[in-house]
Amino acid sequence: MSKVSTNTVSFTLNGVKKTFETRPDEKLLALLRRNGYRGTKYGCGQGTCGACTVIMDGRAVYACLMYAMQAEGSKVRTIESSGTFENPGEFQKELVAAGAVQCGYCIPGIVMSATALMEAEKDVTDEIAREYMDGNLCRCTGYEKIWIALRRVLDRKPGEKKPAAAKRGKK
Amino acid sequence: MKLSEFIRPATLKEARDVLRELGPKGMPLAGGTALHFMQGKTPVTAVDITRLGLSYIKQDGNYFVIGAATPLADIQRRRGERWAMHEICRRISTHQIRNVSTIGGNICRVFPWADLPVVLLAMGAVMTVYTGKKKEDEVPADEFFASQPARRFAGGDILTAVKIPVLKAHHGFGSVKVSRNAAAFSMVTIAALLELDGGTIKSARVAAGSAIPFPRRLRLVEAALAGKEPTAEVFRAAAAACTDVKWCGQEGMSAEYIRNLAEVSITDALERAAEFARGRTK
Repeated sequence: MSKVSTNTVSFTLNGVKKTFETRPDEKLLALLRRNGYRGTKYGCGQGTCGACTVIMDGRAVYACLMYAMQAEGSKVRTIESSGTFENPGEFQKELVAAGAVQCGYCIPGIVMSATALMEAEKDVTDEIAREYMDGNLCRCTGYEKIWIALRRVLDRKPGEKKPAAAKRGKK
Repeated sequence: MKLSEFIRPATLKEARDVLRELGPKGMPLAGGTALHFMQGKTPVTAVDITRLGLSYIKQDGNYFVIGAATPLADIQRRRGERWAMHEICRRISTHQIRNVSTIGGNICRVFPWADLPVVLLAMGAVMTVYTGKKKEDEVPADEFFASQPARRFAGGDILTAVKIPVLKAHHGFGSVKVSRNAAAFSMVTIAALLELDGGTIKSARVAAGSAIPFPRRLRLVEAALAGKEPTAEVFRAAAAACTDVKWCGQEGMSAEYIRNLAEVSITDALERAAEFARGRTK
């Protein structure tokens, strides 16, 4: 039996094996943010809003309802793995193009849930998409534009021309 | 709940031994989602039981056997002949929770709003419990949910699997959950299992939860169905027969409203069960 007295946890984070100092009752969300992975947001802190969604072993989970210790040996991915400001992911581009990002607080979680969906399912019906996205709340833009952006990515056939990078106003 | 330590036992026996030794100072952890909300002033040691090979779904003779640490998402995604467990699991909480929360965690400590105990009561499921002996105890749902199951596990015993009877062609199953929105706790949950014999109902198991303090069978409804034909009128009359249940009002809803809601839900669950017997698979 591995009695955890050292209070460390090791898991693969965005493809890199890492070991973190932690406490038995530290939440995974707190550990990630404390270590600079601040794309994962603290929203409600009680497993309702989805702003803290990360992918653990291919499944979308709430980092606020997970003890960091539970991640031992797993593969965790955060929003930092899905694109950068200069080079956003495909769904991120579509979100911007559709005007789906107003305050943007929910978007990292939405992107992670959508990533889990796109990796796990093919021929995604609306029903399946709704099932994967039902744990993420948006309180300002509304869901319509997020849904449009998601459907655009899902409906794109492999090899089909991708949208031009969304225009960003010059500073 | 505060955690003072986090232990990952390698075997079922180790897990039971350490839980036994810890007593009230230990807490088995599977999905762990409920632990975050449990009150308790003294910190507990979490005993992780997710690494003991208890996450699986398989068919074994007349039973589907679901490992106690199987996440709800796995039960929900499974499709197959005479499989009816996906329906209620799809309705529990949100995608992210279903990915983590387990069938065992949902039933070892029954919260008043829990949906799975209702379904398992109607199904006539059997729970297998590891008590340190080679042969695990088999506890029928009626006994398991007769009182708070958490008491059964206070001595360190561990739920290992839930066995769901494989429904036959003349069986029908339906479950209905009413909630304010998709992710909200249930206002009322009803599950019904019908055994048909030609054109009549041979026997029925109907259970309710959420609008009452603890999930239970609705024996008067079951009695009102036996020997009758599975028609809408019979279902409505049976739903009105549960006069021994005291439905509780909830925030903004009177007891009278909840009673009406429950009766409509019982009728719906029975209709769905009859559809299932006629070949509904979705």
